[in-house]
Amino acid sequence: MTGPGSEVWRLPPLASLLAAILLIACAEVGGASMVKFKLELTRWARSVVLARPAVHGLVGVRDVDERVIDEALVKFDAGLRLFHLHAEGMGLVIIATTMTAATLVRSDSSRRALIALFTVGGAGYPFGYLLWSGLIPFYGIQGGKVVAEWFVWIPFGGATIVAAWWLAALLGARLLRRA
Amino acid sequence: MGLVRRQTARTIGVARLTRGGPSSTLGAKLMRCPPLAVVFVGLFVIALGETAGAVISQLRPQMVRYAQWRIAANPQPHGLVRSAEYDDEVTARAVYSAEAGLSFFHTHAQGLGPLVIFASTVAASVVPWRRARGALYLLFSLGALFPLGYLAYSVAVLEWGRDAGIETVERYVLAPLGSAAIVGLVALAVLMVAGRRRGHGA
Repeated sequence: MTGPGSEVWRLPPLASLLAAILLIACAEVGGASMVKFKLELTRWARSVVLARPAVHGLVGVRDVDERVIDEALVKFDAGLRLFHLHAEGMGLVIIATTMTAATLVRSDSSRRALIALFTVGGAGYPFGYLLWSGLIPFYGIQGGKVVAEWFVWIPFGGATIVAAWWLAALLGARLLRRA
Repeated sequence: MGLVRRQTARTIGVARLTRGGPSSTLGAKLMRCPPLAVVFVGLFVIALGETAGAVISQLRPQMVRYAQWRIAANPQPHGLVRSAEYDDEVTARAVYSAEAGLSFFHTHAQGLGPLVIFASTVAASVVPWRRARGALYLLFSLGALFPLGYLAYSVAVLEWGRDAGIETVERYVLAPLGSAAIVGLVALAVLMVAGRRRGHGA
């Protein structure tokens, strides 16, 4: 319908689609679990925080400690929410970007590399929020963040960013050539 | 017997392909790729959104310092009165709004980028009228720029004050670009129904 010379979307590899669908499913389950087990999760996180006073800087004064515990619990909850949000978004980003790479990138090696970067980066990145959230009660807000940053956000998020700009540059160059 | 079955199946497949027109193979409709420029806009917005997320996460202290500096440099729009307690509260609220703008930019860019690619794909595949498709591509491409409005929102809050900045950007940037996306989606739905009717009529 787009006239002669128009292209048809090519299906990205099954592994990419599966990763995206599983990621979206994880996001949905994560969102549902946050609502269903909110009380249990909060109780568990609180008990772990209380068992590690030195990590969280608890001083044994109720007024001071409650504020610190509250902040840790807010960040714990925020980590779960961010996982839910990012996993839903990245699932769709994986589908859109791998579909674009599969269809519009001519070079085999570039196409494979882009699809791998989008799939691995996009599927791995949201789990950094889950990791951060899980680590907060054990290692504190900053301690957990450093681990999540170096082991998940920077490598996986970096892969997605590199792939996104790489693909944008390839498409931009193609547009310029056509113009 | 097996050969006959295979041949029959192949014939049905060819028959479906012919009857369904060029966008159909073996009875299944194919999804067409929208123009390269539209895909590029969607992808560019995704790339910007991803990068913004990393910047928000890694450069937060620097961003907060920059925001505080810009607010201090624009005391009048922010209503600073040189009372430390009051000014700190006003500054904190403006910094919070500027950070919120960046966060909205990140989340909306990740959402609208794929949306534009998928919606344009639907338009390319099911809208039979060339001009209507062109209008939809234009509306979706404008809608894809909606997240950039939140970038403008962050800057406007710092430069023009919290309330004036938000109001101006909402009125002149976010509302028009967001409306383009909404009008595009509604028009797509209407054109899908009209195209189906036209197909049945023919």
